[in-house]
Amino acid sequence: MKLIFEISEQGKRCATLRTPEVNHTKVGKKFARTTKLELPEVSEVDFSRHYTALSRRAFGVDNGFYPLGSCTMKYNPKINEEVAALAGFTRIHPLQPENTVQGALEVMNTLSGYLAEITGMDAVTLQPNAGAHGEYTGLLLIAAYHASRKDFKRTKVIVPDSAHGTNPASAVMAGFEIINVPSDEQKGVDLEELKKVVGDDTAALMLTNPTTLGLFEKNIKQISKIIHDAGGLLYYDGANLNAVMGVVRPGDMGFDVVHLNLHKTFSTPHGGGGPGSGPVGCKSALAQFLPDPRVEKTDKGYKFVCSKKSIGKVASFYGNFGVYVRALTYIITLGAEGIKSAAQHAVLNANYLKANIEDLYPTEKGRHCMHEFVVSMQELKDKTGVSAMDIAKTMIDRGYHPPTMYFPLIIHEALMFEPTETETKQTLDEVITALREIYDEAFKDPEYMKAAPHHAQIGRPDEVKAARQPIVRYKK
Amino acid sequence: MSDYLSTTEKETSEMLKSIGVNSIDELFDDIPRDLKLKKLNLPQGKSQQETMEIMTALSKKNKVYDVILRGAGSYDHYIPSMVKNLASRSEFITAYTPYQAEMSQGILQAIFEYQSMICNLTGMDVSNASVYNGANAAAEAMLMSTDRTRKVFITFDNIRPDTLKVLNTYAHRRGITVCVLPSKEGVCDLKALKEHLDDTSAAVYIEQPNYFGLLEDAEKIGELAHEAKAKFVMGCNPIALAIVKSPAECGADIAVGDAQPLGLPMAFGGPYVGFMACTEKEMRKMPGRIVGETTDHDGNRAYVLTLQAREQHIRREKAFSNICSNQAYCALIASMYMAAMGPSGMEEVANACVSYAHYFADALASLGFALKYNGEFFHEFVTVSTIPAEKILKALDKEGILGGLKLSDNEILWCTTETLTKADIDRAVEVIRRVK
Repeated sequence: MKLIFEISEQGKRCATLRTPEVNHTKVGKKFARTTKLELPEVSEVDFSRHYTALSRRAFGVDNGFYPLGSCTMKYNPKINEEVAALAGFTRIHPLQPENTVQGALEVMNTLSGYLAEITGMDAVTLQPNAGAHGEYTGLLLIAAYHASRKDFKRTKVIVPDSAHGTNPASAVMAGFEIINVPSDEQKGVDLEELKKVVGDDTAALMLTNPTTLGLFEKNIKQISKIIHDAGGLLYYDGANLNAVMGVVRPGDMGFDVVHLNLHKTFSTPHGGGGPGSGPVGCKSALAQFLPDPRVEKTDKGYKFVCSKKSIGKVASFYGNFGVYVRALTYIITLGAEGIKSAAQHAVLNANYLKANIEDLYPTEKGRHCMHEFVVSMQELKDKTGVSAMDIAKTMIDRGYHPPTMYFPLIIHEALMFEPTETETKQTLDEVITALREIYDEAFKDPEYMKAAPHHAQIGRPDEVKAARQPIVRYKK
Repeated sequence: MSDYLSTTEKETSEMLKSIGVNSIDELFDDIPRDLKLKKLNLPQGKSQQETMEIMTALSKKNKVYDVILRGAGSYDHYIPSMVKNLASRSEFITAYTPYQAEMSQGILQAIFEYQSMICNLTGMDVSNASVYNGANAAAEAMLMSTDRTRKVFITFDNIRPDTLKVLNTYAHRRGITVCVLPSKEGVCDLKALKEHLDDTSAAVYIEQPNYFGLLEDAEKIGELAHEAKAKFVMGCNPIALAIVKSPAECGADIAVGDAQPLGLPMAFGGPYVGFMACTEKEMRKMPGRIVGETTDHDGNRAYVLTLQAREQHIRREKAFSNICSNQAYCALIASMYMAAMGPSGMEEVANACVSYAHYFADALASLGFALKYNGEFFHEFVTVSTIPAEKILKALDKEGILGGLKLSDNEILWCTTETLTKADIDRAVEVIRRVK
């Protein structure tokens, strides 16, 4: 389809504004733009058709099955969008007097309280704009905590080899060195290896639980003891909280700092890559370091407070407020029992899918998975030449979004399925049938699968060409 | 209560049977029993109708002003209907980052178009797919421009306070010094800059217009930065760029800013969207997603996430940034806004902003509210008066007008946009006239 620049015609226009009723003031010559502003010129019909066409070439949760592991593509409730669009939430300026935004402060205070309860933490900041931003913020809290105790030698952050790439990247941004620790045979943290690397230079261990393999880290109590005995802190990557919310809390597992993804666990939409929101919770010993400002409830209403020991600000104003409104709407709707049942059904759906394909799509044996599971297609690839990528692309031909591919890095030819709790059994049954047929196809016609997709918007794109000769903008 | 589940009790028991367990609880056997939570201390779930009532009541505890004369980093602009309407299509809202190019061409093309528009607006060669907000864009530009030998990031005390705070946070643990030079008459002091630039200077960062609404002699500042072999980073208001010299025209290496004025509501500070663009030379150091054009195996035009060797999921601890989720949906809205307005509409908005600001400033001057600075301003300006700022703002508030931002006891930072009418400004002036 054409780019909006390619349907542009000089002189066409769309939205019009009132003519100002005051004298026209021009920007002085010294400051005035001299180059032409090359933006598209389109009519309202052009505009509407163009963006409708783009939307028809997008695939969201409302379009179909979206088992993108680690991303928790659950249904995004429509009420959340309607509430977030209320004038009382959108038409308020971030620097309005506090007494005129008591509702907004109450949203922030209430949501922080609910998230503290769900995670078992003592205090929460909502400010970080995304999960990785939350990791970064949490690690700054940890740095501030050690520094406040004059414990300056804690320069290292331990990260399992199965961790999300953001973990080590965030730790480096926060000024730490990375120690990678391997997984054991059960795909959990190898305790012996962990003992070897902890010491008086350990600032923290970053852990996802359930792990990125969708398995609960059974040794969590021992891990917590090893880290805490060495004087380090335990960081919880909340990407997988959807599996366990209402069932077990990071705070009770021994974690000191946690980040959440409101756009995964709490149903706020992903919007094609954001905005997300990555609140950070911590135990009371770290609360004084949280970003400024925080909302406090007083006798005279809600107010912003700052802490002298705060790490400062990590984003402008108070973060992605509109996302908080949606997440709070979701938590109020679900309540205590709904939160737990969401986790239970997320785990039920994942296990149902796993149980019905694992004879063909091998995964960790003899254990139930949590909200997601990772299969290895190495054996199939050895036999047929069909890779995890080929299976993913064949799923596209059948109208399903593929699972996450080639992650975690410790599994060869990995596919990571996360159906989420909102998926229907009918869809899961269809997918099971489709995946079983696809497996058979790999033996019957591997070449066809290697060239898939055949019925998508495009065939496989040439990524090497894109990176070697980058075209990253439209030019006439 | 609604939990958005899709399975009936009958289906649930069929599924349990198929898995080979008797209850859902059995699936959680890996979790040590003593760690399990008895019950969450949260209210009971509510019906959709009740939730709507609760949230609507909360929204009504916020005051929505008829007239807004405050900016300072968040701007009230008119949002065209078709932007709101087309952006609300759920294919856009409920999609993830376009990892699977074959079924995400719409999202990828939308980002490519956004990047192209940001390049056109700023005059730069390359734009990324967005970062969190304007302050974070500045911080990412700081990380991008510093290296082992050049670790001083120079800026001035006239940038937005939030930008400075975020810069300080990001600098602290990386051994970067944020050097804040004083402004003179509200604008960057070139003499001070010249004195401070040396071979440890990584970059000079200014905002255009600056926090006080004044236009900076950006070209000159860029020249000074480059003479010292430092980078030049400009933080810009995107509406101003329609009529003010672009970062490229001023010699910037990196252009950043917050695209909130492009169709995003004030929404109590977020979600907004940080834009970030640079010269081709800096391209492979830029953080964040970038969409590129390529072809598929049949030679059809195709869009993909590209230059991923910079990113965390490939490079882990060696990545240039940890950014993963960005503000893609907000970037989509910003590009829709630019497409809806077109070049002439963008210029009209910018011209209306400036014109109202000067009309208002003149009217305030006639009431004894002198401009604090003499420099040329865009759509924000600072006044000084003998009447306490608090009194003025309270009087306006009573009339449903959100006055400017109090900077000190007798200084106010005002802002005007095209959402105002002459009558709105005249009414505000009348209210101020009556304050004694």
